[in-house]
Amino acid sequence: MSAFLALIRASFQREVEHRSKMLVRILGGLIEILARISIWQAVFAGHGTMNGISLPQMITYALIGGTILSSWDATMIVRDVGTTIRTGAIGATLLRPVNYPVMLLAEQLGSRLFDWVMTSLPVIAIMGLIYGVQPPASLGHAILFLGFLAVSLAILMLSAILIGLFSFWVFDAHSLEWFLRGLLTVLSGGLVPIWFFPSGLAKVAHVLPFSWITYHPMAIYLGERDVVTGIIYLAAGMGWSVVLGGLVAFVWSLACRQVVVQGG
Amino acid sequence: MRETLSLCLYLMRLRVRTRLEFRASLIISWIAQAFGYIGVFASIWIILTRFETLGGWTWPQMALLLGFHTLGYALGACFTLVQLRRMEEIVLGGEFDTLLVRPINPWAYLVFSGFNIEYGGHVLLGIGIIAWSLPQLSIDWNMATFTLIVGGLISSALITASMLTMIGACALLLGRARYLFGIFFDFWELSRYPASIFAPIFQMALLTVIPLGYMAYVPVSVLLGRPVAYLGSLAPFATLAAGPLSVLAAIAFWRFCLSRYQGRGG
Repeated sequence: MSAFLALIRASFQREVEHRSKMLVRILGGLIEILARISIWQAVFAGHGTMNGISLPQMITYALIGGTILSSWDATMIVRDVGTTIRTGAIGATLLRPVNYPVMLLAEQLGSRLFDWVMTSLPVIAIMGLIYGVQPPASLGHAILFLGFLAVSLAILMLSAILIGLFSFWVFDAHSLEWFLRGLLTVLSGGLVPIWFFPSGLAKVAHVLPFSWITYHPMAIYLGERDVVTGIIYLAAGMGWSVVLGGLVAFVWSLACRQVVVQGG
Repeated sequence: MRETLSLCLYLMRLRVRTRLEFRASLIISWIAQAFGYIGVFASIWIILTRFETLGGWTWPQMALLLGFHTLGYALGACFTLVQLRRMEEIVLGGEFDTLLVRPINPWAYLVFSGFNIEYGGHVLLGIGIIAWSLPQLSIDWNMATFTLIVGGLISSALITASMLTMIGACALLLGRARYLFGIFFDFWELSRYPASIFAPIFQMALLTVIPLGYMAYVPVSVLLGRPVAYLGSLAPFATLAAGPLSVLAAIAFWRFCLSRYQGRGG
């Protein structure tokens, strides 16, 4: 556990060292959120509400869903795994006293925490002042949202690590990264909430683990579900996290047998 | 000039042959990249099935905009993105100094020797969406329309290549340029939507200092007979002129940066 925390701290510290990138990230975040808010403002212009959802709710969805719960950085995990395999660094990684997927998880958590504090919060503050951001529906919803945040992070990281580990067989992390990007864009509800999906697609997307990355946490935050139903969904999300964790462990055990180190 | 051109074509041919050695990987990469884009396009389609229009644009109109944007970008980026995104490493590692003593323009060498056919997925997707959307739109087909489509796509590719060249050239002055590509792509993503949905200041930016509005929004608006704010009746001419003008700006900027390059690595 101490090694896990040390890796998180080291990763956070590394991000602090590259703080010059922070302004660029904030600028990028502002532009991305501006695009999302502009889209919702444009489509809601002729509608008061759609499926019971109002424009202020969608602005909040875009602000929080597009920053704290944003899914884009997950593809970096796939890229990292691909680089580790391509450069041969995987040989040295196997010698370390920490399991590689656990190490990846810790490093990404450190980067993610930095991203939340130094990028997401400033973007939410700036855009929230301009466009307005709604508070959680109630104290109960706010507490539950924190639980969903942890589940979102776990599912996002574990899905990305799982797909990244397939690089041991396909050797083309770049393609895997694009596949993951396409999947997450639609199925996480990151850009468009599942409320607006056609019913068939919505039924499928609702039960897949990706919807716990952005859609379910935001549905709770906005009070679209009561607290009791929220707890059931949270339990289901935890279940998915355990399943994905088990799959990562299984695929990693297969991947270890796949590695042949031919030099130093 | 003729010898330089044949050398450039030879470099391109070498690069293509190298990449074709791994055909299965290439095709998987085409499919994967197209899949990544389809995720975004599907999200936009979902919005339009629910709300019918986005800033007054219907799904077939949006599809044409997205197809135009993807195809124009791919045609420009296959010559520039991967090559010039490495400028930071090329400069800091001293590789650029070796390019300066070769008997070919360093920009031409970088661009043609790195010609990237991985954009095949983008090209096929762009053509496919354009081919699907055009018959569904009431476009008045004549010579001017044809010129606008072909000229607009060339202009779009030239804008992409010029902007990526200018960003890459910054590495010659600053040493670092990679982070600027991130900013470029933030604005590039804005340019896949109708600029009219954004605040006036962003519309102005996309039509002037960051001319990505000419990649798809202006030409497609002209094709559809939609008004273009700030340009009015000049929009068709601006579409065709934006690409060549951005090339002139990129040439001037590359030369400016090159004249101030002092070597940073080795």
